[in-house]
Amino acid sequence: MIGILKGMATTMKHALDGNTFTVEYPEAAPEVSPRFRGVHKFSQERCIWCRQCENVCPNDTIQIVMDEQRNGEEYNLHVGQCIYCRLCEEVCPVDAIILTQNFEFTADTKDELAYNKEQLKNVPWYKGSDPLEARNPDRAAWVGEGAGEVDYQ
Amino acid sequence: MILQTETPLPDVFANLLGLGGFGAVGEFVAALIAAFIVGNVMLAMTGVAGPWAKRKITAKFTDRIAANRIGPAGLGTIPADALRLLSKELIVPEGADRPAWDVAPLIVAGSAMLGFAVIPMGSGIQLADPEVGLAYVFAVASIASLGMVMAGYASNNKYSMLGALRAVAQNLAYEIPLVVTGISVVLFTGSLRMSEIVAAQQETLISVGGLAIPSWFAIVNPFAFVLFLAANVAEVGRNPFDIPEAPTEIVAGFQTEYSSVYFVLLYLGEFLHIFLGGAITAVLFLGGAAGPGPESIGFLWFVVKIWAFFLLTQWLRSAAPRLRIDQLIEVGWKGMLELSFLNLVLTALIVGVVV
Amino acid sequence: MSLQEGDEATPEIESGETELEALLDDLIVDTDDHMNAPAFVIRPDTVQETLGRLKNEAGYDHLSLVTAEEYPDRYESIYHLKKFDDPTDEVSVVVPTDSENPVSESAEPVFRTADWHEREAYDLVGIEYDDHPDLRRILLPETWQGHPMGLDYDQDRPQMVPLREHANPLQDDHRSDTDSDTMFVNIGPHHPATHGVLHLETTLDGEQVVDVEPDIGYLHRNEEQMAQNGTYRHQIMPYPDRWDYISAGLLNEWAYARAAEDLADIEVPEYAQIIRTMGAELCRIAAHMLAVGTFALDIYGDFTAIFMYAIRDREKAQNILEDLTGQRLMFNYFRLGGVVWDLPEPREEFFEKVRTFVDELPDALEEYHDLITSNEILQMRTVGTGVLPEEVAKNYGATGPVARGSGIDYDLRRDDPYGYYDELDWEVPVEDGCDNFSRLLVRMREVEESAKIIEQCVDLLEDWPEDERNIQANVPRTLRPEDDKEIYRTVEGAKGELGVYIRADGTEKPARFKIRSPCFSNLQTLPEMSNGEYIPDMIAALGSLDIVLGEVDR
Repeated sequence: MIGILKGMATTMKHALDGNTFTVEYPEAAPEVSPRFRGVHKFSQERCIWCRQCENVCPNDTIQIVMDEQRNGEEYNLHVGQCIYCRLCEEVCPVDAIILTQNFEFTADTKDELAYNKEQLKNVPWYKGSDPLEARNPDRAAWVGEGAGEVDYQ
Repeated sequence: MILQTETPLPDVFANLLGLGGFGAVGEFVAALIAAFIVGNVMLAMTGVAGPWAKRKITAKFTDRIAANRIGPAGLGTIPADALRLLSKELIVPEGADRPAWDVAPLIVAGSAMLGFAVIPMGSGIQLADPEVGLAYVFAVASIASLGMVMAGYASNNKYSMLGALRAVAQNLAYEIPLVVTGISVVLFTGSLRMSEIVAAQQETLISVGGLAIPSWFAIVNPFAFVLFLAANVAEVGRNPFDIPEAPTEIVAGFQTEYSSVYFVLLYLGEFLHIFLGGAITAVLFLGGAAGPGPESIGFLWFVVKIWAFFLLTQWLRSAAPRLRIDQLIEVGWKGMLELSFLNLVLTALIVGVVV
Repeated sequence: MSLQEGDEATPEIESGETELEALLDDLIVDTDDHMNAPAFVIRPDTVQETLGRLKNEAGYDHLSLVTAEEYPDRYESIYHLKKFDDPTDEVSVVVPTDSENPVSESAEPVFRTADWHEREAYDLVGIEYDDHPDLRRILLPETWQGHPMGLDYDQDRPQMVPLREHANPLQDDHRSDTDSDTMFVNIGPHHPATHGVLHLETTLDGEQVVDVEPDIGYLHRNEEQMAQNGTYRHQIMPYPDRWDYISAGLLNEWAYARAAEDLADIEVPEYAQIIRTMGAELCRIAAHMLAVGTFALDIYGDFTAIFMYAIRDREKAQNILEDLTGQRLMFNYFRLGGVVWDLPEPREEFFEKVRTFVDELPDALEEYHDLITSNEILQMRTVGTGVLPEEVAKNYGATGPVARGSGIDYDLRRDDPYGYYDELDWEVPVEDGCDNFSRLLVRMREVEESAKIIEQCVDLLEDWPEDERNIQANVPRTLRPEDDKEIYRTVEGAKGELGVYIRADGTEKPARFKIRSPCFSNLQTLPEMSNGEYIPDMIAALGSLDIVLGEVDR
């Protein structure tokens, strides 16, 4: 009996202290840490069409189409299929593809989540923050080092 | 000092509207109007409790916010939920035993409504005051078990069947301690009439510094009160005794196959039963509608008391694990039953010696 | 072969090996060398004899995993044996069978756990086991055609076959035709207490469970095949997060990292090991919080306070993990040879956050004890129910908190040290009640121990010299481990022994990638725990096993 009363006292304490740990979501947007990986943003100015991201992608989410002169024509990325592993950003030598902190994306059908180049360019920064700063210092540690042949050509 | 008017509510209406002259028809109409009002008041309360208060209370216990999107403090959820539930498709399971399947929700909800007929709610609200009021209220409240069995049996679902059987086993085990503990109150009052039971509790038991403590049976016999509360929680099937539903074991027990309006009826029925349980507790142990202030606000005190019981069930829900069915039966037959008879014998001795 | 051992314990294994060779003298056809253990090749009809001798006379009482694979010229079943007393003492038994008629003797009479493992081997690879009590498909539907991990499997073949092409799976559904006292109930795959898509085929006698048979595979994605299609260096690491997806991601990643790093001979810098250890323990806390919360949910039977409180505390751990790794569940934080990021800047703030979390944890646990363990009704419900005796647990290959709740003092973090665990001061909680309550207690005590580990890691990281913060070893861009190198490595995941077996074939992708899922083995014990008990106890036992269907089904 004492144990049950102790439990009841504990829950009553929680009821009376008035604290809540849930938030009113759309009004109070949650804090997202600088490293958070959300929807991709693509920069055509930076992209050198090396296709490393396409190669490294574990589940073929990225599709790149180029003409005979190796000029980029299309850059398609299915944000609904993506597993947000960030490998594309890691291997990109020029920071042309970056995962923003933007986690809010909706669509009526799955097809609408297949973003093309223009849609990827227009993905907004979450709360205006550029995640590059939060990640750049460590980039070299993973991508820069390593011997052996470069096989993402 | 009697809070209740001598005339039951239907007679008040009959006099008010001048229906007295129409004989049996007039009486019937007056009774209908009175029952309509009482029934709607209780339904309105369950309407608040089900879609809104329960969520809000649970949220408080679990550090959440809960319904707050529609209307002030989320109160708009109540009509929205009502609309949502009523507009859902009624899915009738294949092989359901109709009409038993259709009647069951009505029985569950109706049995609780019937119980309110004899409850003195203060401010002169009491539909009828028969001599066997207490026996009547226990009797109709337990008709709900029949509804549960019908629901479970007719659903053609194994989970429902298990839930129905559990409901019967549980109600059998707890009905007896409940009634026997109730009888210990009757020993004091010497009457089964609800108004007399309430009246018997109005005398001052002891005066502490000018503050008159009334002789509510909860204060006179706290042991019986606790026993009655526990049996009552089991009777209405709330945690830790929510075995007939037991969501993690048998999905939703006897109500697994119900949807739409039928589900609403079952759901309302459950809340009505909680409130009826609260009302019986209030009448038997908490002085009915008595409380500080003029007699005319008695109904408010009555509402406070039944909501307090509702709150207690929700509080228990937040902290008490569910018993296993065999443990429940064991507690019922081997614990509560003995204790309730012990209580009865002791009360009888005390009443015999002291009074 | 000793050159390839690459293990500091080489001499021991060598000496042990000769003894074993003497023991199995008449059975050994050939010897092989796996990187983790000596391997003996035996004939397919001597499996029971060999495993029986190894179990009873040499003390290899833990059948960790059965790996099946197809070579161009043969099939192979590999039995990875260990000792519960010393998991570093391993031996592999290789059973080749001919590719025309792949029939091998079942190990089920010797190790109960082989039942499901061999069914999986039959299902995915196509090896048949003689003397197996119930050789049916386990992960794939009954109507599936072919064995998807076999070499000749036709991926384009449609799997939607009409029932007439196969036995009608509904035919035997009325099991109680002769015995009308029992009732057959399907619990799941959609049921409030199955924690995912698990289907329990339950036979009830009134309220009591006569027989329960877990039917798994609803969440099967063939993660093994997916790993075989990924490159060692990049593409495999994101997937372990998705085995046990209840925030135990880093623990799973470590299982792959450990196997692949040993395979490719990569030395992980000490600093990265400490970060790994800290992150992994945070994951363990998060996973155990959810385990405790959902277990309470099963017992309390409603959306009650304790579940929300557990989620609230788990949320704190996840916030820290988000700061560290960038995700809340699917971390993809480990890399072969280290981790991807150093601690987030500003470091002081991060340390502060972790410290606050660890400091507040005792209060939170105190609250759980008030709410759960000291509650008399909960004790009535859990003490003495779902009993799993020690010997049975061993026979079924139960590991993790399930084994430790049955009095088996077995924790790979201590017994087969990896990471930075052996440098830190912590204990392995063991309870010998063998019941639901013990498993609950073990988890709650493990949270405390994890907090201790995290605290020590933070102290170490705080004092680490700035110029020695090396988070990444020098790893070749492309990893191509030598042909025919085989390794089986295990780590202590949130649910138990999580292992990965890799066979390299000289390319940049594994030729065979096999996952040893602790939940898979643990779930097998459910019938032992719940047959003859009441339905609520079966639900409680299931909750106390803390299974994650993503890991059971892979």
